[in-house]
Amino acid sequence: MSGSSRQLPAAARRRALAIDLLAAAAIAAVAIALAAGVGVLGFVALPVLLVGLVWLGLEALARRLRARRQLN
Amino acid sequence: MAPPPPRRGLSAWRRARRVVLLAAAICLIPAAISFLSAVREPHNVGLGVTSVEWMRAHGGNGIVSQIENWYYTLTAPAKGGAPLKALPQVGVASAETGAKPAYRPPRIKPLIHPALPGEGVWKPAAAHAGGRPPVLLTTFRSDPEYPQFVAGVAWIDSARTHLAYVPGLAEPPEIEHRGPAEVPSRLRDRVAATFNGGFPLETSNAGLIYRGQVVEAMVNGIATLVEYRDGRIDIVRWEHGEAGSGHVWFAKQNLPPIIYAGKLNPNLSDGPEWGETVNNAVRVWRSGLGIDRRGNLIYAAANYQTVGSLAEILRRAGAVRALELDINEDWTTFISYRHPGAGEPSNLLPEMFRPDTRYLTPDERDFFSVYVRPGQGW
Repeated sequence: MSGSSRQLPAAARRRALAIDLLAAAAIAAVAIALAAGVGVLGFVALPVLLVGLVWLGLEALARRLRARRQLN
Repeated sequence: MAPPPPRRGLSAWRRARRVVLLAAAICLIPAAISFLSAVREPHNVGLGVTSVEWMRAHGGNGIVSQIENWYYTLTAPAKGGAPLKALPQVGVASAETGAKPAYRPPRIKPLIHPALPGEGVWKPAAAHAGGRPPVLLTTFRSDPEYPQFVAGVAWIDSARTHLAYVPGLAEPPEIEHRGPAEVPSRLRDRVAATFNGGFPLETSNAGLIYRGQVVEAMVNGIATLVEYRDGRIDIVRWEHGEAGSGHVWFAKQNLPPIIYAGKLNPNLSDGPEWGETVNNAVRVWRSGLGIDRRGNLIYAAANYQTVGSLAEILRRAGAVRALELDINEDWTTFISYRHPGAGEPSNLLPEMFRPDTRYLTPDERDFFSVYVRPGQGW
């Protein structure tokens, strides 16, 4: 099987991340252009980021607890 | 040993979440740079106030005003309550000098009976003011439905004093000859009082002339505190176009007049003409400046005021024309000085939030200084 017909998982992940990063940059550029000012931008972006990070943290915690339970 | 199972890629919604979080992080970069540079500038207010001011100045004024509206509406005081037994002491007892008595404004007639000791009675702000004090102070209960509200009022003798406009560190944002943003050391021997300015230019929909130069285009129909080059002070409804005439030394505009020709503005309830801030019916610290029939200035401030009730206070104190000045506890300040050299400063009302040394150090916002004219003793 040649490398071109089947991507390695790590390479696929990197590519997905790059695409997501480009999409995020495009969304951010539109938001910056349309927002009334950086104050509004910060007012919206900060809680979104905080909630998102807390969400990710809780998910990671739940995964760990599940894994520990399976080990026991 | 079997190889580990290949990791599956992220599901579509997780990728969407990642995109949103990355976009939020990118958006925060310019916001954080702007905020940190604002915080690093010199201030004499706390981080909370600085953050709110930064938010207002960077497109978030509507959001801040809406949150303030909700907050002040939720914390609005209830009517009634126990009657007050005493008013805060302001000014000093008048000393008999034997000199020819000068004009003094009439006592402010109390609204609530029986009147409390000293209610509405003018007292000199300075300790050795003689028979013709440049600044007089009083307090009175301003609303029979809210008998615990106390208004502080100051009367400023225009013949004995000179009013100066002092730019702050950050307000107005663009100005030549900004100065020290505090009462200059060389003028402290003559400073009798200092008080807050109006709304920031960004939210007042109004103009400013300073040292005869237009800083922000003037707006017709807006209430204007104006000093002419001959030293005369007046409060007018501006009708001289964006640049005004060459006779003006400074002119500070703030919203439409709240009193004109002795009558309250009939549109005090609310509307877009009152600036991008909390609405007029919200009870909050408010301040205003009026002028009486003789051309003397009258400053008033109190907590829990609507624009309408502030106008009533000024009219009762004798104002025939008046404009609203700044609002909220962080910005409402009137300080008198009992001794020459800015000695023994004192807030008009003890509840005033800012220290009585506020204008003896550089301040964020523009303000007014009242100086005893040269040759006029204390």
